[in-house]
Amino acid sequence: MKTVLSMGVIIILGCAGCRSPRMDAGQGGDAATTREVPGPPDGQELPGIGDAPDVVPADQSIAVQDPLEPVNRAFFLFNDKLYFWVLKPVSKGYARAVPQQARLGVKNFFSNIAMPARFVNCALQAQFQGAWVELERFAINTTIGMAGFCDPAKNKWNLSKRDEDLGQTLGWYGIGPSMYIDFPILGPTCARDTVGFLGDRFLDPINYLVPKTLGNAGVKSFDTINGASLRPGEYEEFKRTAIDPYSALRDAYYQYRRQLIKNEAKKDESPAGAMPEK
Amino acid sequence: MTKICLPGMLTGFCLVFALPAMVLSGEPTEQVKKTTEKILAIVQDPALKAADKDSERQRQMRTVVDERFDWAAMARSAVGNNWRNLSEAQHAEFTGCFSELIANNYLSKVDSYTGEKILYKGDKLTGAFGIVDVVIVTLRGTDIPVSYRVQKKNSEWLVYDVSIEGVSLVNNYRSQIATILNNSSYETLIARIKEKSAASRPAPRGAGKSPSATEQKPKEEAL
Repeated sequence: MKTVLSMGVIIILGCAGCRSPRMDAGQGGDAATTREVPGPPDGQELPGIGDAPDVVPADQSIAVQDPLEPVNRAFFLFNDKLYFWVLKPVSKGYARAVPQQARLGVKNFFSNIAMPARFVNCALQAQFQGAWVELERFAINTTIGMAGFCDPAKNKWNLSKRDEDLGQTLGWYGIGPSMYIDFPILGPTCARDTVGFLGDRFLDPINYLVPKTLGNAGVKSFDTINGASLRPGEYEEFKRTAIDPYSALRDAYYQYRRQLIKNEAKKDESPAGAMPEK
Repeated sequence: MTKICLPGMLTGFCLVFALPAMVLSGEPTEQVKKTTEKILAIVQDPALKAADKDSERQRQMRTVVDERFDWAAMARSAVGNNWRNLSEAQHAEFTGCFSELIANNYLSKVDSYTGEKILYKGDKLTGAFGIVDVVIVTLRGTDIPVSYRVQKKNSEWLVYDVSIEGVSLVNNYRSQIATILNNSSYETLIARIKEKSAASRPAPRGAGKSPSATEQKPKEEAL
């Protein structure tokens, strides 16, 4: 699903971070998350409702706040066209010119350099093992991994990336996602994750290494095109299966972010936290 | 000394690590695994590979999928609160169209299977409900966590929801269906589902190698 989300988010051509503005429909005091409790229709119980809340969260609908829906829909359409008219042809041509192995290397490089935000956000969420893993990964990949182009930390040492960001941190502290926003170019996000996204920019080395707006946008666009070239056909598939693509993307975003906040927090608690299971 | 110890240690090691695995993968995992293997066997069956065997292959896969997926529960759950506002006939019609859509999506995905690794991570059970956790490792080495939500009916564990990277299919469709029902009508919903499930039919395979399904569809469609 990350893929599908990235689809929307893929569309980051612009100046902001190379990471999607993230947000999740947080846990905890979620003004925006309500539980839909349909009574048993026709005297039959819906599977899972109330029976096994931990195992069967299929009934947890996320009631999304979307007061900007008309504007969001317009931007959704804009991003859709942007994908088909610009990002897709460009990333296709790029994929033809650059071998996949090299493109994976570029992806690893950008991911490696974005370590500070993940490290700080792990720490902010008291995931100290996670923060440590991020440091270890950075040390290994920057040296043995040839400036981050390879990922021996994962392949040899089994240290998986801890994908934390400020939006998740805010969610972890109980802040709900609040309203949905589909930014042009940047794609789907919510109010909380927008704040997180802006905050994380201060931890993004690229913004210090390439501070000029134009150069910065160029680097971020390159990252975006590279990422899109590794996921051909994904957005098309998402649209093909959705009966209402706009609300499908919105719901997927909230679900994905909620899951991220819940799960990453769990990783540290499990004894396998330091040693991601294989 | 080491010569004697090593085999013993290995056995101990195996016992310690194999045991939890055996406990974890219970009946639901076994059944989901069996269904997946059956489908992959059909996909890879050389006798069904030819282009003119497309419909036969898909028919066989559909039969296997139908045995494992609880379409009625999925459909009811995807409609949610609005279910009681629909008539019996509409329930039947919706269940038929919706299952067609999900099955087509699923089958067209599986039909392009190219040897991705599927790891079974075990299951969690609460009474008659459970989650079967699976990780699909793509050819590029990306892990995609997939969970099947299952409910026990008679002796079978039937799948009533699938979530990929934490995004539940049924919940996602529920929010789309609610949006459509709010903005227009049941008739529009059915028309939309039919249109989408036609577009999601597994692409015919050329002689052996097929371009990805998405490549063959119209590049752009109206929103």
